[in-house]
Amino acid sequence: MRGLARWTVLAAAAIAAVAVAAAAMADDMTVSSGASDPGMTQERQIREIRQELKLLEQRVDQLENENDRLRKANAELQKNTQKLQTSTTEQISALQSKVAESPSPEDFLSAMDRFLGRYRVTLVGGAAGSFIYDRNSNINTFAFDMEPIILWQLSDKLLFEGTIEANLPAGGSADYQLPVADFQYFLNDYVELVMGIFDQPFGDWYEDQSPFWVNRFVTAPLPYNVNPLIPPTEIGVQLRGGFQWGQMGQVADYTVWSGNGPGYSNSSCTNNTPPSPLPTCTSTAFVGDTLVGVNNIKLNTHTPSFGGRFRIYPLPADSDWGRLELGVSTYDGKWANGLWMTSWGVDFNYFRDNLQTRGEWIESYRQMPAGLGADNRQGWYVQAGYFLTGLTLPFVPSAANEYIDKLEPLIRYSGINQRAAVLANIITTPEIGFTGSPALYAPHAREVALGLDYWLAPSIVWQNEFDLELPEAGGFYSDTGQPVGAYPNDRAFVSQFAVGF
Amino acid sequence: MKRKLISGFAGAAVALALAACAGGVAHAANDATPAQQKRQMFLRGAELWPIYCNTCHNARPGGEFSPTEWNMILMHMRTQANLPPQDAKAILEYLKASR
Ligand code: HEC
Repeated sequence: MRGLARWTVLAAAAIAAVAVAAAAMADDMTVSSGASDPGMTQERQIREIRQELKLLEQRVDQLENENDRLRKANAELQKNTQKLQTSTTEQISALQSKVAESPSPEDFLSAMDRFLGRYRVTLVGGAAGSFIYDRNSNINTFAFDMEPIILWQLSDKLLFEGTIEANLPAGGSADYQLPVADFQYFLNDYVELVMGIFDQPFGDWYEDQSPFWVNRFVTAPLPYNVNPLIPPTEIGVQLRGGFQWGQMGQVADYTVWSGNGPGYSNSSCTNNTPPSPLPTCTSTAFVGDTLVGVNNIKLNTHTPSFGGRFRIYPLPADSDWGRLELGVSTYDGKWANGLWMTSWGVDFNYFRDNLQTRGEWIESYRQMPAGLGADNRQGWYVQAGYFLTGLTLPFVPSAANEYIDKLEPLIRYSGINQRAAVLANIITTPEIGFTGSPALYAPHAREVALGLDYWLAPSIVWQNEFDLELPEAGGFYSDTGQPVGAYPNDRAFVSQFAVGF
Repeated sequence: MKRKLISGFAGAAVALALAACAGGVAHAANDATPAQQKRQMFLRGAELWPIYCNTCHNARPGGEFSPTEWNMILMHMRTQANLPPQDAKAILEYLKASR
């Protein structure tokens, strides 16, 4: 029985399988029977697939192109970044090295120049304080004087120079003067125009030797002291210049000028305290009148005066002969209507190593109103100084030698000859550079000055001077008619500290 | 007398101006480079400084003033001493460089 059952189950299973397969086949036949022709359908499908493939291919192409572009752009970007990096590094390192290195003096100077602008002003000049003792007038005093100079450079060719003199004379209140105020303009390399109030370009004194720290002595030599032969300043114009005529150092220079001319103190004026303040009343001239110290426009309106100075330096710089200067000067001007004052002078200056010498000779002629006779004068000085630099004395300690090294002993002889003096013109108030000794006004004044300078720096000096006044007999006071007497025991001592800055 | 003196001075001035120009021509030629010229000027200045600048007062050394101040002071001294142009320039170069 069990066999039969088995067969029955198998048969049932087979029938079921056939039925299922038939059903499945019937399903399939229903789908494909949608088209009319099965071959056509396949072909269409293939076309469609091909089209799709083409589209895909195009898309791939596009993407590839895009990719290419992006790759290129990226490469470019990288290159630029690289460049930027390099140049930044270079710039930074340049900046770093610039910061690290200090500016060169030229760079600094030009930067400073830009900062300061075109116009420049410098303050120079000098100051001095003195102790003055004069035995004859029994003077014992201190004096102080300051002479600042303002230099104002207006262009490469134009300079303004102004000097103000401020002093405290013994017993008086402060006194101010304007001895120099002028424009200096270089017309070309060899001609310069100077206009204004200037130091008298006569000889070497007023222009070149008078400042405190420049003058080796404290006082001026007699022809340039309280009774000068030539007016100290002038208002007017100058032409000047210098040139080389031979080897290096062999030069010559000239100065020609025209100005207001001389003026004399006037003893007949009651309110006149010569030589500095101007006469305020009608003048009566005397032989021996003192020249007015500082020029003024009010002083002389008679006619322009004129003069010139010519100097030559014959020794070449390469030679071992030192430096020699030889000069001639003239001064001509009317001091009153129709009355001339004419002068000329010769001067020399020689230095070599530690030795320096200089000297001058001056002659002056002053025409006088009828009946008064001539007012002729002569003046001169010679001086020598010797620096003890390099001198080592074997018998003194080296510390002392250090001091000796800075010393300059000096000697000067100066004098004036004139026919008469004017008693009313004599003032004995000392001031810087003047001891107050009346002997300096004597018609035949003579002075021996001994000096000892101690140089702390090229323009800082402690000066000591001992003066022996030795006027010679002769002459008279032209305002009183009395003969000029002797000045017994006239000795003076001056000690001065002078600074040039 | 006045006219005579004036004409005398005028004549002297003209003669001087001519002499000056002649002097200028003689020293103009120089075809060195700027650096060489500077060096030549420095050397010339170094030689002339102790001579020219000691004539009236003790020579003042370069360190005392700034280059800008030296410009002005040398203008002042050039007037004061009537220095020939090339010498004044050389001394200025020396003073500015020897600070
Ligand atoms: C002819 C005379 C003379 C010669 C040469 C001379 N000096 Fe002077 N120097 C003076 C006088 C005078 C003063 C004082 C100022 C014044 O009175 O104008 C002075 C002042 C000075 C000063 C102070 C600042 C000033 O301008 O006043 C300096 C710095 C100076 N001289 C440097 C020189 C140098 C550098 C030289 C060389 C080129 C020189 N000097 C040549 C006469 C001279």
